[in-house]
Amino acid sequence: MAKISAMDIYKLLPKTNCKKCGEASCMAFATKLQNKKAMVEECPIMNAPKFEAKKKELVELLSPPVKEVWFGYDDKNHRATMGGDEVMYRYELTYYNPAPFGIDISDNLSDNEIKERAKYIENFVFERTGEKLTLDFIALRNASNDPEKFKNALQIIQENTKMPISLCSINPESIEEALKIINSKPLIYAATEDNFEKMLNVLLKHKKETNKEFALVLSSKQIKTLKGMAKECLNHGIDDLVLEPHTHPENISETLDKFIALRRSAIEKEDKLLGFPILGLPINTYFYTLNNNSISQFIEEPNKAAGIMEARTANTMLIRYADAIILHGCEIWELMPVLTLRQALYTDPRKPQAVDADIYPIGNPDADSPVIMTTNFSLTYYTVTGDFEKDGVKCWLIVLDTEGKAVDVAVAGGQYNGENAKNLIEEKGLADKVNHNVIILPGLGAPARGDIEEKTGWNCVVGTRDSSQVGDFLKKNWENILEKIGKNN
Amino acid sequence: INTYKGNIREVQFGRPKSEGGRGKVIKIGGQKALYRFEEPQPNNPVVTFDIFDVPMPGLPKNIRTYFEEVMHDPAEWAKLCVDKFGADMITMHHISTDPKLKDTSPRDAAKLMEDVLQAVDVPFVIGGSGDPSKDPKVLEACAEVAEGEKCLLASANLDLDYKKVADVAMKYDHNVLSWTIMDPNMAKDLNKKLIAHGLEGDRIVMDPTTCSLGYGSEFSINAMTRLRINGLKGDEFVNMPMSSGTTNAIGAREAWMVNPEWGDRQYRLPLWEITTGLSMLLSGVDIFMMLHPLSIAVLKEFGQTLTT
Ligand code: B12
Ligand code: SF4
Repeated sequence: MAKISAMDIYKLLPKTNCKKCGEASCMAFATKLQNKKAMVEECPIMNAPKFEAKKKELVELLSPPVKEVWFGYDDKNHRATMGGDEVMYRYELTYYNPAPFGIDISDNLSDNEIKERAKYIENFVFERTGEKLTLDFIALRNASNDPEKFKNALQIIQENTKMPISLCSINPESIEEALKIINSKPLIYAATEDNFEKMLNVLLKHKKETNKEFALVLSSKQIKTLKGMAKECLNHGIDDLVLEPHTHPENISETLDKFIALRRSAIEKEDKLLGFPILGLPINTYFYTLNNNSISQFIEEPNKAAGIMEARTANTMLIRYADAIILHGCEIWELMPVLTLRQALYTDPRKPQAVDADIYPIGNPDADSPVIMTTNFSLTYYTVTGDFEKDGVKCWLIVLDTEGKAVDVAVAGGQYNGENAKNLIEEKGLADKVNHNVIILPGLGAPARGDIEEKTGWNCVVGTRDSSQVGDFLKKNWENILEKIGKNN
Repeated sequence: INTYKGNIREVQFGRPKSEGGRGKVIKIGGQKALYRFEEPQPNNPVVTFDIFDVPMPGLPKNIRTYFEEVMHDPAEWAKLCVDKFGADMITMHHISTDPKLKDTSPRDAAKLMEDVLQAVDVPFVIGGSGDPSKDPKVLEACAEVAEGEKCLLASANLDLDYKKVADVAMKYDHNVLSWTIMDPNMAKDLNKKLIAHGLEGDRIVMDPTTCSLGYGSEFSINAMTRLRINGLKGDEFVNMPMSSGTTNAIGAREAWMVNPEWGDRQYRLPLWEITTGLSMLLSGVDIFMMLHPLSIAVLKEFGQTLTT
């Protein structure tokens, strides 16, 4: 897809430079729009009737080839947003909305189990490099096929959490009942070839009577059928669509092929009827593995094997364009790698990987506290400070400017050196902060020790290899070190 | 369906018995398209099991359990990988040749190489210790005793005497792993230099460096994707098959660390390696150096669905 220029956007703006949008000129606003830093609505002039046609054209021009679809609550903190992508490969431009993860809840569970599981999903967090990685929605599954049970389960979830909800049932009656009490915008799974007409009727009726919004998943293993259903929905004014081309647990590559085909149609062929987010269902792999454990040689417990295979499917889907996924397994060891992969895939490839070089006080250090030297690679910095926080380490942390390189990389590359350390220590007046002259280095920094001692005049002690061991190390050794070599004067 | 001007080169490991070799032959690469639905992919992704010339006390316990009994004897170790876990290939890491470790001589490394070659009939990757001045000598000695077996010499890089590694490969009929740091231009540069030196392009496998999941795997994904796409577009200097040192994943603390808050390491560790490997597989990698038998089984199973 050809990238739109700021000029193309500017041409459609009012060109009055009235500054009501908060920008100095229409051209500046156009640049913001181009970079997705502003919305067309922020120019009030465009709302005048005489600009209506241009506004429509502009919105069309700016809309990404994969539509952005959200569900959940009105306030932005309780929403799941998917899609919005513009490129096939992440090195071209950053991918847009990190794919939301949903965990299923079966309506066959007891009331209490439903509540517990919902709470667990809402509170789940895995913290990594200063970011909290969390789950995004609850997929309420109508396993009973009973509309009343479905409704009851929904009630319990709504009362206990504010998670966005996907209503999963192919029974139009269940959906109809649930829609009566839902108090957020749901993602409805699914309209299929078999239930299409009935489902559509239920939804159109709901829309007409309540004017409430919903997003709809279209499910079929045929891309052609998906396209036909999308067209039909658009004709009826249902345009928050999501595509689910079936997850085949027994041959996951087949599914991935379809994901690729869908995304190519949207981005390379600009097919508007297929320009919607893709939903993947690793949960199918989970249940398939329970009865077909292909790794029983290594892992006998069916639910653990299922978790591993489900994560495998989830990972391949994330790499191959899934914009949202639904999982069943929710143990931390399973979710950690999948969440980390998502974090990696959606980091902006152009974002700097470094924090500011400085001497940071960690946990209210005083003049007797240790001085520890690390690098300004953000991954290193956040790992180290995270460990220190957990272990209650008090120290002065020298964060050396290694051009954003990890310890061993910077040692190998020569940025973790004495000269560099000396400048920072002098500039920040480390000598005035403490009354000893010891710096603790990471194990991997050992090769640079001689150089650092020589240039800075401070004594260096090589600590542990991993920062998670520093708390213990200090408890055992810091007093001794101070005693022996550390005291000034 | 897209069409591509170029194709990926095919590289062969091992020599068949009919030609006086030890037996198994493995081929990688040879793709004419990015995806299997555009053009069937000719060769399965291949996994080569890492083994070491010292018992590796640093390996996490739940990997050691599989190999504990054979770790003192690389020949037995190789046999176990082949007989019990169906290894396609074996990577023999001569890490004790490191001057900072035992400084084992190239001659002793070559002796060990002969033993492991005898023990199994699969092709080998031959690795040094990473010491830039010692590695070319170790590789030369090992390449000589494995003459004609079309092993993969790991590795040639810009920091060492890559010309010597290339010479050795040509003289004793082996392939060369061309290793660079996640920069597609560097990979191209090194390949160009190797080819200019006389090494045939069909003897090169590229290693653009595998960062572990969570430790920059996205950089590896980018580099590999670009290399593969450029190769298919017809760039003759980057259309080699690719290799991944997936074992790196096990070095990530999220994999090895015992931490009750992170759940059981028995599942977490292999899954970290699996996830790293899958990311590389879907970015175009053809051959994987891996360690945990479960990770290997899962990756291979998935890899096979990509070619059928
Ligand atoms: C990603 C990577 C790169 C990336 C860099 C990304 C970055 N921003 O740093 C790139 C591609 C740029 C790169 C380049 C190079 N790399 Co590199 N790279 C790696 C890799 C794969 C991961 C490094 C990483 O992210 N570690 C994670 C961070 C969090 O670890 P960390 O900073 O060390 O912090 C930990 C500990 O040190 C400790 N810690 C930190 N602070 C403190 C403080 C105290 C007091 C204590 C006690 C502990 C402690 O706790 C932290 C958490 O565990 C490693 C291999 C590996 N380790 O898996 C190779 C590796 C480090 N690279 C290596 C090399 C040789 C290089 C190059 C020199 C290659 C070349 N010839 O060009 C260049 C140098 C570039 C430069 N500096 O100019 C070698 C180093 C070998 C050596 N030790 O001599 C390695 C080990 C690969 C290998 N096996 O050969 N690399
Ligand atoms: S509010 Fe609209 S018309 Fe006024 S400067 Fe901004 S873009 Fe131009």
